[in-house]
Amino acid sequence: MSEWAQAVRQRLVSHDIDPTRHSAVIDELAQHLEERYTALLARGVDAIEARRTVSEELEDEALENELRRMERGQPAPSPPIGAPPRTGVISSFAQDLRYVARALRKSPGFSAIAIITVALGVGMNTAIFSVLNAVMLRPLPYHDPDRLVRLFESNPQRGWSEFSVSHANFLDWRAQATGWDMLVATFADSVSLVTNDGAEILRGSRVTGEFLPALGIAPIVGRNFTPDEVAIGGTGRSVIVTEGFWQRRFGRDPAIVGKTVVMNSAPHTIVGVLPRHFEWIDDVDVLLPLVLEPNRSRGDHVLTVFGRLKPTVTLDQARAELTTIAANLARQYPADNDGWSVRFRSFYDWLIPEQTRQSLIVLQGAVALVLLIACVNVASLLLARGAARQKELAIRVALGASRHRILWHGAVESLLLALIGSVAGLVLASATIRLLSSYGADTVPRLNEANIDVTAIGCAVLSGLVSAALFGLIPSWQAARNDAGHVLSDGARGSTAGHGRQRLRRALTIAEVAFSVALLVGAGLLVRSFTHLQQVDAGFDVNTVMTARVTLADRTAFDNNAKRAAFWQRVNAEIGALPGIVSVSSGSGVPLTSVGGTATELRVPGFTPPRGTQPSADWRVITPGYFKTLGIPLRGRDFTDGDDPTVGPFVIVSESLVRRYFPDQEPLGKAITPRTLGNRPHTIIGVAGDVRGRGLDRDPLPTIYFSAVATPAFGTMTVVWRSVGGGTAHVSAIRDALRRIHPQVAMFDVRAINDLLETSFAERRFNVYLLTLFAGVALALAAIGLFGVMAYLVSHRTREIGVRLALGADRGQVFRLIIGRGVGLASVGAALGIGLALWLSRLMETLLFGVSALDPITFAAVPAAMIAIAAAACYVPARRAMRVDPVTALRAE
Amino acid sequence: MTAIIDRILDRELKKGSAELVILSLLDARARHGYEISQIIEHRSEGEVKFKVASLYPLLYRLERRGWIAGTWVEKAGQRRRRYYRLTREGRKVLAEQRKGWQRFVAAINRITETGNV
Repeated sequence: MSEWAQAVRQRLVSHDIDPTRHSAVIDELAQHLEERYTALLARGVDAIEARRTVSEELEDEALENELRRMERGQPAPSPPIGAPPRTGVISSFAQDLRYVARALRKSPGFSAIAIITVALGVGMNTAIFSVLNAVMLRPLPYHDPDRLVRLFESNPQRGWSEFSVSHANFLDWRAQATGWDMLVATFADSVSLVTNDGAEILRGSRVTGEFLPALGIAPIVGRNFTPDEVAIGGTGRSVIVTEGFWQRRFGRDPAIVGKTVVMNSAPHTIVGVLPRHFEWIDDVDVLLPLVLEPNRSRGDHVLTVFGRLKPTVTLDQARAELTTIAANLARQYPADNDGWSVRFRSFYDWLIPEQTRQSLIVLQGAVALVLLIACVNVASLLLARGAARQKELAIRVALGASRHRILWHGAVESLLLALIGSVAGLVLASATIRLLSSYGADTVPRLNEANIDVTAIGCAVLSGLVSAALFGLIPSWQAARNDAGHVLSDGARGSTAGHGRQRLRRALTIAEVAFSVALLVGAGLLVRSFTHLQQVDAGFDVNTVMTARVTLADRTAFDNNAKRAAFWQRVNAEIGALPGIVSVSSGSGVPLTSVGGTATELRVPGFTPPRGTQPSADWRVITPGYFKTLGIPLRGRDFTDGDDPTVGPFVIVSESLVRRYFPDQEPLGKAITPRTLGNRPHTIIGVAGDVRGRGLDRDPLPTIYFSAVATPAFGTMTVVWRSVGGGTAHVSAIRDALRRIHPQVAMFDVRAINDLLETSFAERRFNVYLLTLFAGVALALAAIGLFGVMAYLVSHRTREIGVRLALGADRGQVFRLIIGRGVGLASVGAALGIGLALWLSRLMETLLFGVSALDPITFAAVPAAMIAIAAAACYVPARRAMRVDPVTALRAE
Repeated sequence: MTAIIDRILDRELKKGSAELVILSLLDARARHGYEISQIIEHRSEGEVKFKVASLYPLLYRLERRGWIAGTWVEKAGQRRRRYYRLTREGRKVLAEQRKGWQRFVAAINRITETGNV
């Protein structure tokens, strides 16, 4: 190196600038100085003077400043191993990702378990969230659904809070109320469609003209009903069909509008087709005009009414106005309207029952707990692996990797696990949703709309990220805390960091057990409710009876009461005569269906109702043999074919009606006056057992049975029969028998009563299955977690166990020691879990039946089971501990 | 007093004009640092001098701005030298600075010409 280069170099060093970075600059400056020096000498300047002059040329801070600026702008040389590289964030992340992916591939067992665990947690969360989103969060499929309000008549005195609306009252509301854009009445009605193949029953809804506009739905073909078609006194012979019906019946014929079909024995003209997305609370095939009947009794509460509030009117204003109108009507028509008022409910509230919402929230809470347990498990796994990788990490720290860097790697690892787990979880969720939809579509409204959409993916990503944060940070933080020197010198055993990690894992296991216990208690309570429910005496034979609805499609052939009564008598006779039929009857409704049950007020001579109340009862119309067929006990006598309008009138009442209105009296031979069916005194000829007709979880209502032979007979009834062999064996024979009576008789909705019972259980069963499934997964995860901790403990303590054995401890003691540790952890967890469950179970009180939210059996059995499972999970590690060979264990040191 | 004024004038003039001077010198052809310093000293008849420690920082700054580009060149029989040439961007800057400088000098002249008093 030249003298001048040396000078430049020294100058840079003295200004704290790294000369190794500027060799090119040094060369250039040195060359310049040398030429200058040579030039001065050539001019005759003496050597000392020339050297001094040239040296002064270097004195300027500009050089130093410029070099510093250059230094900042230059890329740094490669960093030392383990130190954070100064390259861009993205490439650094990609590098970390590659590193972590390699590490995960190297331990496939660990990776698979962690990913499956995350997938379970995320998948279940996403599935349930998608259901919750579809059922509860997505707006209803109507225009501005928040302004849609369901309206009921209510009679608090009689305990009828939400009752249908009578024709005349609806007409008065619609005429007088000003707060509504539209008030709509509907009425579910099945109609018979007579074709060459015979009669088919269509599910229909009769609606007033504002029905579709109020919901904001327009027909895709044709038009809505015109005012003429729904006018009072009109024939109501137009029909709007659903898209599905259009497809099924008419192959999407574009010229459908104007076609004539025969419904209920009368020609109807198709005027429109509804869009595919049309949905209504009842599944319908057709909409028909609802022709209001102003002269029909105000006591006939039959209409389902809703309205669309004006944008400028608040719910309270509308309610106040309609309450006043109802009060006026009550004064004007005291005979029918006394005590009646109005009640509002939001559309949302009406369409999505509270019980459903409550269940979904409980299920969502349950899967959140499962996710939490899954996270704890993965955290625990990472901790255990952290212990195995302690040395690797310590070496990296010793080589200069910062704590920040170690934490960062942990975070990348967690993110990668969470990402893969979430993707797998989405697949799992999609399968789960399909399963849930196929299983519970009839039980949970809008369940079929659940799918993997952006919200679901968002949920999966979010739960994945939350999981990553939960399970990733704890072990990383633990790893970063490790003192490198300590770990390396210590042989990675028994160090303080190791103890800390063990403590943390124990705490995590306790948490896991606690969450599982809370979930198991929830599931246990639901299971107990369900078993209680199944043991409830329904009051009728739930096993062998079959039911079918039968309707007289040819209304002209049965245009009077006597003809209809005669028909139902013949039904009993013809079907009863079929070989194998044990018993047959018909009723306006049968237990466990919503069809045909309705309430009436009644007067009971000698019974003074408490102030402000009025006796009331459900009522049904039946043919002889009803109680025998359904296996309902009967005291007194049954109706006979001889109980025609010339005798009686007679009624049969239920036990609960007797208990309520004839306490300590013999009711047979006494009279009651039901308001319905003529408001005449009826003599009680029989007392029937109570029937839980609205579901086994609802108390039986006092019920009055009228004879179909004596009262205005219905055009549609439910036929019930009991046969040798049971089941659907006789369905076609019965259908043929009905056709023999009249060719245009339609039979539909053939159901075993057992099936109806199952349907009434369906939503509960759905909840029980799901919550049990989630609790089971939670339990499995907790058991795996416990097993992992204990197995690790045993392998970690092999030496200690060896010493104990060498010092004379017997193997049984060692076995008990390990089991004891595990059971101890589980017990602490179980105790905490009980606390959590005590708090959480209150939230599910509305879902319980026959058990208290603090059911002692559940609260005792669950922790006991948990501890037993904990002991089982510790069995293998304990056996391994017991078999430790002291010589080998100590020699290994 | 004169010495101080000379120094201030020297610094200020250099500051304002140094970039223009260097860019102008590189306009004709590529030159190395020593050559640049020699030309400045020679043409200014010793009035303007750049020390090594202020010339090179200036070159490096112009280079960082992308106005000039330096390359090591080895010619037969000569030592390896770093030559600086004007970039396209530098040529544009030079044109602007020349215009600015001429306007500035003309303005100063108008102010200081005694006949205008």
